[in-house]
Amino acid sequence: MKKVLALLLVLCMVFSLAACSSDENKDAPTPTAGGTEVTTPTENNGTKTTPEPTPTDEPVVVIEDKDEIKELTGGQLVDGKFPEKKHITVEVYDRDGGTPANDNMYTDFIKKGMLEKYNVEVEFVAVPRWTEVEQINNLLAANDAPDICYSYSFPTVQAYADMGGILDMSEYLTDEFKGLFPNLWNWLGSAGINYRKNPETGEIIAIEGKRNATERIVTFVRKDWLDKLGLAAPTTTQQFEDMLVAFKNNASTLLGADAGKMICYAVTEDVGWTAAGLIESKLDPNLSDKDQYVYGFDDRRFTMPGTKEAVRILNKWYNMGLLWNDFALYGSGDTTLDDYLKAGYVGAYTQNYDLVFRDGENGINYTLSQIVGPDAKFIAIDPFDDANGNHTKYLYSAVGSDRKIFFPATNKEPLACMLYLDFISDAKNVEYLQIGDEGVTHTKNAEGVVFVQSPDEAHAAAKPNSGYNIDLTMTTNGLRLSSEELTVKSMAYGYANVDPEDVVNAINVSLNDAKYPTSIDLGVIEAETTVGDTLTSYQRQTFDKAVAAAEADFDKVWDSGMADYLAAGGQDIIDERLEKWTEAYGSATMLP
Amino acid sequence: MAKSKESSDANSGQIIRVKTRMSWKASFKRYWQLYLLLLVPIVYFIIFRYGPMEYIITAFKKYKINAPVWEMEWAKNKKKETDVFFYFKQAFQDNQFLRALKNTVVLNVLDLVVGFPAPIIFALILNELVFKRFKKVIQTVAYMPHFLSWVIIYGLSLRIFATDDGLINMFIQSLGGSPIPFLGDEKLWVVTYVFLGVWQNFGWGSIVYLASIAGINQELYEAASVDGAGRFKKMWHITLPGIKPTIVVLLIMNLGNILGGGFDRPFAMQNNLVLNTAEVISTYVYKKGVLAAQYSLTTAVGLFQSVVGVFFLLMANFISRKLGERGIW
Repeated sequence: MKKVLALLLVLCMVFSLAACSSDENKDAPTPTAGGTEVTTPTENNGTKTTPEPTPTDEPVVVIEDKDEIKELTGGQLVDGKFPEKKHITVEVYDRDGGTPANDNMYTDFIKKGMLEKYNVEVEFVAVPRWTEVEQINNLLAANDAPDICYSYSFPTVQAYADMGGILDMSEYLTDEFKGLFPNLWNWLGSAGINYRKNPETGEIIAIEGKRNATERIVTFVRKDWLDKLGLAAPTTTQQFEDMLVAFKNNASTLLGADAGKMICYAVTEDVGWTAAGLIESKLDPNLSDKDQYVYGFDDRRFTMPGTKEAVRILNKWYNMGLLWNDFALYGSGDTTLDDYLKAGYVGAYTQNYDLVFRDGENGINYTLSQIVGPDAKFIAIDPFDDANGNHTKYLYSAVGSDRKIFFPATNKEPLACMLYLDFISDAKNVEYLQIGDEGVTHTKNAEGVVFVQSPDEAHAAAKPNSGYNIDLTMTTNGLRLSSEELTVKSMAYGYANVDPEDVVNAINVSLNDAKYPTSIDLGVIEAETTVGDTLTSYQRQTFDKAVAAAEADFDKVWDSGMADYLAAGGQDIIDERLEKWTEAYGSATMLP
Repeated sequence: MAKSKESSDANSGQIIRVKTRMSWKASFKRYWQLYLLLLVPIVYFIIFRYGPMEYIITAFKKYKINAPVWEMEWAKNKKKETDVFFYFKQAFQDNQFLRALKNTVVLNVLDLVVGFPAPIIFALILNELVFKRFKKVIQTVAYMPHFLSWVIIYGLSLRIFATDDGLINMFIQSLGGSPIPFLGDEKLWVVTYVFLGVWQNFGWGSIVYLASIAGINQELYEAASVDGAGRFKKMWHITLPGIKPTIVVLLIMNLGNILGGGFDRPFAMQNNLVLNTAEVISTYVYKKGVLAAQYSLTTAVGLFQSVVGVFFLLMANFISRKLGERGIW
């Protein structure tokens, strides 16, 4: 009896230990980020403008003959389909948009389409948008990443490629396979597909998604505050400062009992993004291509000549009490500022040109009008003048600034995944994913112009997880209707519950004196591998500390932060880029 | 409790001496159930503690995600020569790591200096309370923060310490003072960090001391009273010596952790303004390893951290035994 009891005890312990051990490898906790689109820099889901000049390819000839396809794919595709059902997993960002990111009306549309067309079963894996780099890192490290991944962070992809964790896509991106993926080639062109091609080995570890809308930033200001104080919209940095001072001096008129909560100009911990307008106006208006390339690693223009002077102005404003005192305490993805914007405490704010219009009934302008009153709204202004008296600002480049699509080494179905990329680049599919069903998520006028609307209660399931389903159309960022003309005409109507004129105004402001960044690729810069996160961290720290420093300490704080950044690998990148530039263009400072 | 533990240990010591005369076969036959029970933790340790150790070699090799650890190449330096200690050298040339190392030591030492005596003092005070119910309530309230995660505590501390709309600064401003950046200034941040650590842990930490105090023979107190000792004398000459072995064991274990420490507390409380003092080894490893995919470098750092931890543990134990205390083994 005793022995039986002992055995039982042992068994019990074994099982309870086994149960415990499943918790062993839990990831370290990270702060949750349930944010809406406030702190993020790297995207935009607006509409079409003058396209950036990119080389156009010859249209691809579709391979129609089923036997030819069978031969080309080594018998993998019979009658244009896989004879046996294939299963692939696909990453999709989750933005808490009301419907589950990986299981909604639109994912069902894709699943059905892929199953019917190629006999491929698709499973979506949701990854939180605001911590995507951390999440995709965790998944890759655990050999558990989806078969098709995307990320805004190329250094992440490169770091894993360096460890053998990324599949080379070039096998299916040769000329002979072009006819099998016509939609992909016609949409991205060799500009997007070969953007990351290694010039020596020919390997392609990622292809670049394309922006169909390259508008980037504007500065918003509370129109009702300007009206109340009888101020005109500022057109110079000095006028902007005077306006902020006027806000502060009249806080009790504008906010009454909440006067103490006023934030005249809301710069967040990501200073390089939420003060991008000011920073870009302080760069040399005639910045050479060489400087753009050599100092171009940091996407916040941290190392560019001129940035320091812009931050000096911010530092002055901070010490005048015009900025948000606690800006550095709220990390990326935090929604506190969102709440302040919606509650009406914020006077001015720099962000994506359409930020205040997004999100329908949860949008900033709409909520503001509900909480504060019908007059309360943000409008776009153009306050930061450069050395020439213009309002220089930068646009997104169409290729190279959006998501990088890649297959991890664990991907066993590269052909099925390539067919998926072709499917998701098909203009018809993109249009459906972006605007949904007529009468539910949009209406059209006689001309065919699309008016986006929020679906009613009965069709709640039709609400996309992200505006225009940007996260499902991974090769496309920005409205892309059947014709360019319609796209342009529909751009102002892409947001539910806002005044289209405000959208048009924001688009115009974002295009005023705007430039495309020079896009130069001279091959892989080895110094950039694995240092991305470290450098970003130094960049953020330096920006934040310099803004919050006492005015007398500003130079010291900035210079020591910059020294840390350069010592941690920033200088190596600059040197290697300079070397590459000299190799390619000699002593020229502009592209030929 | 400590006293009774010592006496029972003394008894078991005698039994062991008897046992050693028995051959291991006979011993196994007699106590096989106990050995069977022992098997479970042994298997657990082999699978979850010793098995993964093969990946320590990663610190000396160039990590490949798709290859087993023994197939990876040995680490190479920038000139492409094999140099197995390359990642250790790289770490010690990295300002960020050196800063994290310094911060880890500074913050842990501060935690130890301020945080270690706090639960002892608290336990002594509680022990002097006469009203049982009052004592229970205080004790329960004091150890509740232990169950809050650091993310929640940081959320609370933002509401209390923030410059613009934190409770304390609103109060200061209403009195006409200027706000104090508790979370945004490096020195003040350290104070806040240590304070919150003590606040979270002193209640919970006092439990083990209270248990230890409960084990002290009551007759000692009675005898002291007869000799005319007051409350303070009794505390100094009976209670403190009574819990000394517990204090020493806990101190040794804390010293072994001088380069360790948690991840979530510094990580939750960090912000860009204070990162120079707030980055510690655990958060550095997370950022460099998980986020920047430098597994070899961070394994090297982890190995270094463990070796130093073991060294401290051994030293503390050695010193404690030299001073006549029991140590932990």
